[in-house]
Amino acid sequence: MRRIVGVADMQVSNDPGEVLVTYSLGSCIGIVIYDETARAGGILHYMLPDSSMDRGKAAEKPYMFADTGIPRLFKHSYQLGARKNRIRVYVAGGAEILDQEGFFNIGKRNYMALKKIFFKNNVLIDSENVGGNVNRTVRLEIGTGDIHVKTSGSKEVRI
Amino acid sequence: MSAIQELIKEIKSLKPVPAVVSQLIEIVDTQGASMKDIAGVIKYDPVVTANLLKTCNSAYFGLKNPAESVEDAVSMLGVDQVVELVLLKSANGLMGKENIGYGIREDAMWKYAVSSAMIAKQIAARLEIGNRNTIFTAALLKDIGKTVLDRFIADRFDRINFLVQNHNLSFREAEKKVIGVDHAELGGMIAKMWKFSPRMVKIIRHHHLNDETMKKDREVLTVYLADCICMMMGFAVGADGLAYRFHRHAAQELGLTADDISDMIAEFTFQMEEVENLLKMV
Repeated sequence: MRRIVGVADMQVSNDPGEVLVTYSLGSCIGIVIYDETARAGGILHYMLPDSSMDRGKAAEKPYMFADTGIPRLFKHSYQLGARKNRIRVYVAGGAEILDQEGFFNIGKRNYMALKKIFFKNNVLIDSENVGGNVNRTVRLEIGTGDIHVKTSGSKEVRI
Repeated sequence: MSAIQELIKEIKSLKPVPAVVSQLIEIVDTQGASMKDIAGVIKYDPVVTANLLKTCNSAYFGLKNPAESVEDAVSMLGVDQVVELVLLKSANGLMGKENIGYGIREDAMWKYAVSSAMIAKQIAARLEIGNRNTIFTAALLKDIGKTVLDRFIADRFDRINFLVQNHNLSFREAEKKVIGVDHAELGGMIAKMWKFSPRMVKIIRHHHLNDETMKKDREVLTVYLADCICMMMGFAVGADGLAYRFHRHAAQELGLTADDISDMIAEFTFQMEEVENLLKMV
């Protein structure tokens, strides 16, 4: 069964029949994590790098921001039996509009936020498909751990 | 027949937005119309009236007594809501179409049009820019050119995409090079043919801000920026991806910082439920 991870949303699962999918990432980032042994994993779809801009909104929608969403993605996956040392991490999204440089580049800022958090917590990215001017859709098959990414203008590929 | 001739033929066969829509925007934006004026314009179009009453009496509004006339609808829901409903309903048939060439499903296309219009309205309110209904409608209909151009894109996608990938052209620039006309230009032509106000034609025509002379036009900048925000949020980004140009001066000219843009993205995330409800209702 297909479960949709919306915008500013997170879903985890250990149901082998389930497929998690998040559509149309744009400048947002999709983080997919999966533990092969526990057969558990999840997807986070966040939109903005830092919750300090509005703590109130972050309390209501923690998955909107990298710093409040990422820890929750890991914690919820641990509750399903996943372990940090076994988790594979895949990152997609963070696209930019042409000529979108510097501070206005939310895609890049979203990606930098994630790198900072991962560095602090000793998390390594196994594979990624980020940046550029393309739109991405990502899905995770819980039963097998297969991850597929569909990029605008191209066919879906398996990671 | 050349591509342009074929396109003009196709534009002529489009079912236009009802004339009442242009009149309505005109009186609301430029003359500060009263409830009576609004009702006076709408009630002479039976299709628009019937649609308005049907929507108005839907469960969404939960009215105690059903609205039986346009006057009832305006007094129960207020001018702004009624105008918005008429605009949304009139645009639905046009913008709620699947775009195969651009790779956008019909529901995504419509959701994007409405989101873009809501964000443009939000920017206009924040910056106290007038003519909000013109801005709302222009944002709603700005990609009408894509609907017509779609078939031509589908046939020439590889060539267009090649130019985007290898020659640093934006998708719009590549459309223009390969087909001879781009979707914004075409949208402007359609708006003109439907006798929209010159202001509306201008916004639709320049919504990618490719003309230097538009650099300081606050209404054009508002719709442009709303489109950029939608792209960043991934709304209805199809096969063209985010391959359009970002002009940082647009935000600067409007006095908006990167934090303001982040703030609007966060704000809109909370409004998305409202958009979903609007989509269901219309």
